[in-house]
Amino acid sequence: MKAVLKTTVLTLLLLLASSFAVFAAIRLSGGDVTAARLPASATTEDRDLFRHQLGLDRPIIEQYFTYLGNLFTGDLGNSLTNNASIGDLAVEKIRNSAILGGVSLLLVFGIGIPLGMVASLRRNSWLDTGITSFSVGGMAVPNFWLALILIHIFATSLGWLPSAGQGGFKYLILPAVVLAAEGIALTVRMTRSSMIENLNQDFVRTLRAAGLSERRIYFKHVLRNSLLPIISLAGLRIGQIVGYALVVETIFGWPGVGQVLVNGVLRRDYPVVQFFSLLLVFVVTMGNLAASVGYTLANPRLRK
Amino acid sequence: MSRFRRFRKNRQLVAGSIIGLVIVLLGVFGPMLFGDYADQDLLLGHKPIGTEGAFFGTDALGRDLAARATFGIRISLMVAISVTAMAVVLGTLIGLIAGYVKGPVDSVISLIVDFVWGFPLILVAVLMAASIGSGLVPVILAVALVNTVAIARVVRGEVLGISEREFVAASKAGGYSTFRILTRHIAPNVIPIALVLSSYYIAVAIIAEAALSFVGMGAQPPLPSLGQMVSEGRNYMRLNHWESTIPGVIIFFMVLSVSLVGDGLRDLLDPRLRTALDRTS
Repeated sequence: MKAVLKTTVLTLLLLLASSFAVFAAIRLSGGDVTAARLPASATTEDRDLFRHQLGLDRPIIEQYFTYLGNLFTGDLGNSLTNNASIGDLAVEKIRNSAILGGVSLLLVFGIGIPLGMVASLRRNSWLDTGITSFSVGGMAVPNFWLALILIHIFATSLGWLPSAGQGGFKYLILPAVVLAAEGIALTVRMTRSSMIENLNQDFVRTLRAAGLSERRIYFKHVLRNSLLPIISLAGLRIGQIVGYALVVETIFGWPGVGQVLVNGVLRRDYPVVQFFSLLLVFVVTMGNLAASVGYTLANPRLRK
Repeated sequence: MSRFRRFRKNRQLVAGSIIGLVIVLLGVFGPMLFGDYADQDLLLGHKPIGTEGAFFGTDALGRDLAARATFGIRISLMVAISVTAMAVVLGTLIGLIAGYVKGPVDSVISLIVDFVWGFPLILVAVLMAASIGSGLVPVILAVALVNTVAIARVVRGEVLGISEREFVAASKAGGYSTFRILTRHIAPNVIPIALVLSSYYIAVAIIAEAALSFVGMGAQPPLPSLGQMVSEGRNYMRLNHWESTIPGVIIFFMVLSVSLVGDGLRDLLDPRLRTALDRTS
């Protein structure tokens, strides 16, 4: 338990450092903040006044602490492009992204683990070869291109699914599949190799000698041992999913955190970029923390 | 079995190497064969694949797709290989030092590693693009940073395990210098792992560069990055899907080739690495 506490404290410190890094990266940028908001005809005085209103003329450390203070009191600032409150924006975008990310994560493990198990049970059969090739191929397909192919087939040609936007369940299918594809491929591969490794262990022979049914050995004992690395992968997958959500949300026009962030960068809307980047770092750091705590709790050998 | 026969018997390695060789040859000689990638001819817009004078057809601006795609391969390979070479060398060094020296040095390195680890690669690149402007430079910096840290993490873990082994204790008792123990006894045990990891991180670099160029934060026009070509072609999927299909297929085979080589190398160098590496990738 002491190790868990230490990891938690360390994580909080890392989050604080991350918040400063994100802040500094954006404040030290060469871009002109005023360009996002003021018309091209604005005078130098107008621009200086605007910077002063935003507090951009003060030292960066002071700005950082002001920003942190505002964060804790719930004041997230406003977008530079349309003056919308970032707090309101955040609620909606986070909800959308959480739906997309959650469904993808479900697909990753819901499809990846069973396929990997089947492949490990029928090792070296045509089924195994098929599943393994699918997983090697799946890791090589760039997800943005997969998105275009699926849109072309299912939206443009067949007309079964909408190509972009947000509405009912139908709108969720394509983006979730694209976001999950690489994860499914990786999970299949991990599950397969982890299961095979455990099937060759001595304890399996002992259980067989004790007369346990193959099914019981497989599902109860081998699977349980094999799930450990997959659990730790779950937390680490969040980082990947968060990263690629930026691309996938942009393609499908899914109004989530990723899309807001990419648009923010392209339009130089710094308060927006700052808040949503921090949010993503927070999610990923928490994912890593959950992975390491989960791994410790799931493995009695690591508990002290 | 001789090394060569072992190589030949390893089907993944052979297949990956052949695909890789074809792509490298296309990248090296393609731009010389197919002419200037930026040459526009608006009257020639959207010629399909197999048009005379334009092997793969042309894009909306009448630019030769073969010339653009092969130049795109060059960009992709240059970014991926240079970045990965740097990340492998630096990451291995950092991991070796942190894992062997331990103590405060290790704590500081591990803290920095954990810090960077909290940032997804794509987000680091987006932040870099926000702070120094879009282009290939932020992409290169971001991939280099994240991959160096990723490799250092794995190498450190391996070194921690190896330095507990008897042969290390024996070398220490024999009075060898830290430098000698690190270079002669520990490094040879982790370098195979770093090599196998490098093929995986070449794949990561290729995909990251393509994805960032796709959303407009990577290579800037008129430079023809493969990801950017896929993006330009997406508006004309019905008219002429080859404009995004060709670069897409090329990216697929590039990544497939390095993954196959990576898997093959892993089996060739040390079959026992199989599961250990699956966990890290």
